[in-house]
Amino acid sequence: MQSGREPRIIAIDAGGTMTDTFIIDRNGEFVVGKAQTTPEDESLGFMNSSKDALSYWGMDVKEAFPAIVTGIYSGTTIINRLLQRKGRKVGVIVSKGMEDYFRLERGEQTYLGYSYSDRLHVCTHQHNPPLVPRNLVKGVPERIDCFGDVAIPLQKEEAKKAILELLDEGVEAVCVNLLFSYRNPTHELQIKEMAQELIRERGLDVEVYTSSEYYPMRCDFPRANTLVIEAAYAEPSRVHMRNIDARVKEEGGKFDLRIMASHGGTISLEAKDLARTLISGPIGGVIGARWLMDKLDIENAFCTDIGGTSFDLAIITSKEYDIKPYPDIARTLLAIPLVETDSVGAGTGSFIRINPTSGRIEIGPDSAGYLIGTSWPEGGVDTPTINDCDVALGLINPDYFLGGEIKLDKERAIAEIERQIAKPLGIGVYEAASGVVELFEETLKNEVFARILGKGYAPLNYTLLSYGGGGPLHVGGISEKMGFEDVLVPTWAAGFSAFGCACSDFEYRFDASLDLPILPGLPDDAKEGLVAMINAKCASLRERLITEFSKSGVDESKISFTVYLRMQYLGQLRDLEVNTGKEWISGAKDLNEAIDAFEELYSKVYARAARSPELGHLITHVIMAGKTDVEKPNIPLEPLSGEDPPSEAAKGTRKVYRKGQWLEASLYEMGLLKAGNTIKGLSIIESPSTTFVVPPGASAYLNEHLIFHLKTQ
Amino acid sequence: MATFLPKEAGETEKGYKPIGWDGMTLREMLETSERLFAETGRYWGIEELTLKEKDPIRYEKIFAKLRGGLVNARETAMNISASPIVQELGELCFAFYTPEGDSVALSTGIIVHVHTMSDAIKFMIRNDYELNPRIRPGDIFSNNKPSIGDAHNADVQTFVPIFWEGELIGWAGGVTHVTDIGASTPGNVPVGPISSYEDGLDLTANKVGENDILYQDHEIRCEMGVRTPMFWKLDERTRVAGCHMIRYAVERIIQGEGIDTFKRFIREAIEEGRRSFIHRVKELLIPGKYFAVTFVDLPLEGEMGLPDYAAVDRLSHAPHELTIGPNGEFHISFDGASKWGYHSFNCPPSAMQGAIWVLLTQTMIPNDKVNDGAYLATTHFFPPYTLANPVVKEAATGAAWGFLIPAFTGLIRSLSRGLFARGYLEEVLSSYAMTMNAMQGGGKDQYGRETGILSFELSAVGTGARSVLDGVDYAAAMWNPEGNMGDIEVWELVIPLMYLGRSVKPNTAGPGKYRGGSGFQSLYAIWKSLDIVMQNAGDGNVFPAPGIFGGYPAAAGYRHNVLGADLLKRFEEGREYPTKENDPGDSEISRLCEGKHLFDKRTLNYPYRMNHGDIYYSWYRGGGGLGDPLERDPALIEEDLNNDILLPRYALSIYGAVARQDENGRWVVDREATEKKRAEIREERGRIAIPVFQFLTEERERILKGDIALKVRRMYNESIELSTEWGNWFKSFWNLPPDFRFSEDE
Repeated sequence: MQSGREPRIIAIDAGGTMTDTFIIDRNGEFVVGKAQTTPEDESLGFMNSSKDALSYWGMDVKEAFPAIVTGIYSGTTIINRLLQRKGRKVGVIVSKGMEDYFRLERGEQTYLGYSYSDRLHVCTHQHNPPLVPRNLVKGVPERIDCFGDVAIPLQKEEAKKAILELLDEGVEAVCVNLLFSYRNPTHELQIKEMAQELIRERGLDVEVYTSSEYYPMRCDFPRANTLVIEAAYAEPSRVHMRNIDARVKEEGGKFDLRIMASHGGTISLEAKDLARTLISGPIGGVIGARWLMDKLDIENAFCTDIGGTSFDLAIITSKEYDIKPYPDIARTLLAIPLVETDSVGAGTGSFIRINPTSGRIEIGPDSAGYLIGTSWPEGGVDTPTINDCDVALGLINPDYFLGGEIKLDKERAIAEIERQIAKPLGIGVYEAASGVVELFEETLKNEVFARILGKGYAPLNYTLLSYGGGGPLHVGGISEKMGFEDVLVPTWAAGFSAFGCACSDFEYRFDASLDLPILPGLPDDAKEGLVAMINAKCASLRERLITEFSKSGVDESKISFTVYLRMQYLGQLRDLEVNTGKEWISGAKDLNEAIDAFEELYSKVYARAARSPELGHLITHVIMAGKTDVEKPNIPLEPLSGEDPPSEAAKGTRKVYRKGQWLEASLYEMGLLKAGNTIKGLSIIESPSTTFVVPPGASAYLNEHLIFHLKTQ
Repeated sequence: MATFLPKEAGETEKGYKPIGWDGMTLREMLETSERLFAETGRYWGIEELTLKEKDPIRYEKIFAKLRGGLVNARETAMNISASPIVQELGELCFAFYTPEGDSVALSTGIIVHVHTMSDAIKFMIRNDYELNPRIRPGDIFSNNKPSIGDAHNADVQTFVPIFWEGELIGWAGGVTHVTDIGASTPGNVPVGPISSYEDGLDLTANKVGENDILYQDHEIRCEMGVRTPMFWKLDERTRVAGCHMIRYAVERIIQGEGIDTFKRFIREAIEEGRRSFIHRVKELLIPGKYFAVTFVDLPLEGEMGLPDYAAVDRLSHAPHELTIGPNGEFHISFDGASKWGYHSFNCPPSAMQGAIWVLLTQTMIPNDKVNDGAYLATTHFFPPYTLANPVVKEAATGAAWGFLIPAFTGLIRSLSRGLFARGYLEEVLSSYAMTMNAMQGGGKDQYGRETGILSFELSAVGTGARSVLDGVDYAAAMWNPEGNMGDIEVWELVIPLMYLGRSVKPNTAGPGKYRGGSGFQSLYAIWKSLDIVMQNAGDGNVFPAPGIFGGYPAAAGYRHNVLGADLLKRFEEGREYPTKENDPGDSEISRLCEGKHLFDKRTLNYPYRMNHGDIYYSWYRGGGGLGDPLERDPALIEEDLNNDILLPRYALSIYGAVARQDENGRWVVDREATEKKRAEIREERGRIAIPVFQFLTEERERILKGDIALKVRRMYNESIELSTEWGNWFKSFWNLPPDFRFSEDE
């Protein structure tokens, strides 16, 4: 190979504005590329971003792609379609009487995604345009009750009428979502069969989706939403993904592109249920963190991603992240498992205002986003942001933002902070700017602390991992006096989410509701019967896994299966996910072990006093995950140099205002530091994509994997 | 003065060291605080917010930490609870109080409780709990008595005192809305009780635990006292766990900031809350008097099993006067309210405060910084011996919301008039919808367990019309802006009813230039329960959600349940069955189901037996309209007709819209014909209109002759007798003789 490089993995994260590409070679060396996202044909942005990345290695795609063995894609096509309601014409069949699902929206979708203030402020609430218009939703007389018994037999003539009416409307797909179909799918399957027959008779090309086959989960409304998204928005996006795959093949790529899915694994673009790739952007970082934990042998980590608009957090305990079974995205309730990440409306672009009534400082919840703040006059923003404060205080170099691509106006930032913040508060401009930054960091600190406490742990049990464009800038303030076990800042923090996608397993995960009660004091021989019921569910999920893997030519023998159980106390509504670590539940002993694991987890998450085993337990969901080995990045490994940074890395000094005084900060260029160097605070380490602040009294050691360890007081 | 309860051998009252600050007892602290407020008009007499002004950033940081602790306690603890009310609807709230019981900050959740728990803490202080039963680190207290400090008996509160170096530094408080409270009829807003002795489990600010552990006898008593002990137990654990998390958060803040700063902070935060509220009033409203009235329907006449003094058909009067002063004063008076009664709708002052704050936080102050400072910025008059302040100990309070919900639409209209006058058009709202029918019942569930039933899907009713837009359809509750119907599959797992349908209910929204938000309807079959009683609770004979600026009221309620329904037979035979009612004038339930139809205006009744396969109908109300319906855009009327929001026969009579269906069955409004029809209606209005003076003269004649429904006459007599001032105002308005009373002849 010309350049002597052997790229192995490519991961692409197409965000709302930018497409990031992360390419890593056999030695664990990597490049990050950026290009504008092209929503109408994402393959363009994909190629541009790849070219940009490879240009750092002096390679082109034709040269690089044939060597690549793994390619991961995480895009926005489905979510954009959902937001714009641009999809296939879908008809929906529901239990008679439920035709208004998408108008009622359970009431709840009128304020989903709002800030706390707007959630209270009732005159701001509003319904969404219905996911499916009312005339395309047909009710069919039938009912399965909560025990799975047939309460009202399916009236087939009515079902036929409903199907024909939808076909007359020219629908491109039919979704069937009946009540309690997850307990008893008979009626859904009967309707499917009838529909397929009628479609055949008419010689049409209309697909039929049943909720019991796609998402056999309790909660009829989120399930209906998910099924419709699958049929209306995900399925047509498959063509987009195939386009990208085809471009890869055109350029000589031999790998199958896999898609990042919400459960944290990657799946084939030919996977049956593609809606689970709807949300993947924010979870990339969590997957990357999980991978780092393996490499560095970290037990518990707390992930913090500071971007322009939000602060995303996730917690990984005992190397397991949490899964949310009913998340909401784009003001839509869903029934797909999502790696749990929380988002707080506070990022480096968050606006800062003084409330005219109370005279108190407010940060966000809205933000200037990629328009940075008043320090970028071209962006047209008139309200100061956190970025502006960082510029005013000397933390951000106005001439080196995005490597100098964008020139910032420090004087304008100072003037606006003075006028809008400092004067009303009656304090000096630098005092105001540094106060706001402290308050911002304090707010984020509280969010982090609350979640760790919520897990029943203390920060001492966790390693804080900081990434995202704004992460390294504020990590010092957030971690100060928190007492984390360790604080890590990867040098590739700005591209960490894309990197994370590259770290994900080739993994399918299927969830099914079960609602199996285990009464208190049940003897072991009686438990054997329950085990059989669990395994029956496992077997059907296992079949689905095998079918999906076979689409990518992966044989059953190459799949490692794991059973997860979601459990709660009998009568409760919130469940917890227990990893059984087993391929099957092979008897009462395994079940008892799962119950013990649940008890342990419960007392950690809530409080020991809240444990209530006397109520008995309920297994709400059975989950089968299957993964197969794929190549993942190697961690960078550099020879260690001495403690002192090389002289060419030093860039002089700059005055920085901090806690009431002006200090002299040493400046370094991140890319020129060597593994083994230790940077003492106050220092600012700059790179084109991020700025890392080492506070006074702190030190940052760059380890052999090119990750900084930040030690604060 | 309580008898001193020694805790250690040899401890005497004389040698006792008080737990208040600077050697004071809590009672001394409370009295000092109240005296200073009375003297200076400021919380603890604070003149300068020195901490906030000197170091605004630090002040904000402490606030962020405290509130973060509260929100976190709520988010974490709520997962322990089992009840859908807490889990799906988030009906729980945590707060931190000063030693003397003033709220400093609240979590997210039901903000009803800005002030209710304050009253309960102050009650403990005034009754010298410090001396007996003693207030010590690790203690747990609990209350659910509205006359002590609560919105209604089903809101159960837990308190944990927080100490620092021997001083009480504050209280953590938590409240959850429980599923059943063990009243004489099942549920959590029981309509059965006619005296407080039937309200169910009474926790009168009791000490219920020490050393962070609940007393066994307390737990046993509660489990015995409610119909749903499992829900109760987990709810109590939720509250206790949350309070303990708050205590930990507060201790951390004190460690970081120092005790003196923290003490200063909590007082400044309240004083600042008071000043902010005043500022906000000045900013949003115009000084003056705002008057509005609503009426509350209590048709209990003929109710079997009630004594004759309780089985009466009552109409209750809920007038209010809001006075906004030139310096941001905010005074609300319910003078003229009806007498308290032998039913469970009586509202002690804490409950009234609950309604005030839940509404103000949805409108004037929707933020995370509200606290008792705002309470201190307001004054109120809740006349004694009325529904708004029963005073008497025997008044039942279990369904206080039954009065609060209708009574407070007036406050929204008053605020809206002020906002409109000030130019805040986007903030104007007409009356919110009644969260009714409240479907309640109890007995055995589908698993054979004892249960109490209340479906909280009623939290998603219509909002009032806005001055630039229609109200939001099926979305929010007056007592919780975050409405949530919940999933049908979740409800069916919890209650022994099977949904036959859940859909938009036509003609529920109040018409207007902008209409109110629409309501919706649920139709159920009683399912697999062998022993169940059900009831309806809601408005029927009056319109509690009036319109504003010429808008019409939202539809009043009715009941339509079917006993001995032939549903099961229909299912078996594959025949048509009802899934909704839609138009009561052409009822699908009547058409598609035989049996004993309870189809009437008895929208409030006592539980009666229902059986597997019977039909229960619950429809949820719409919001009031805004502006003259004749000004409504025909395009919006078309949309309403095609979306089942408006029944076609009302398009003409209410809106003057001439509509017809096209070949596809879509409704089209003929613009030209409509213009003509509207001109005719306006002309007709002019023709039948009479001068105001003549109207008043004619109405006066009716008053003098007593040509008014008996319950209306009774209602006014009560108001006249209870309040001389209101009586005089009424008599002078109508120019009636000084000794005027309505005749109460049948």
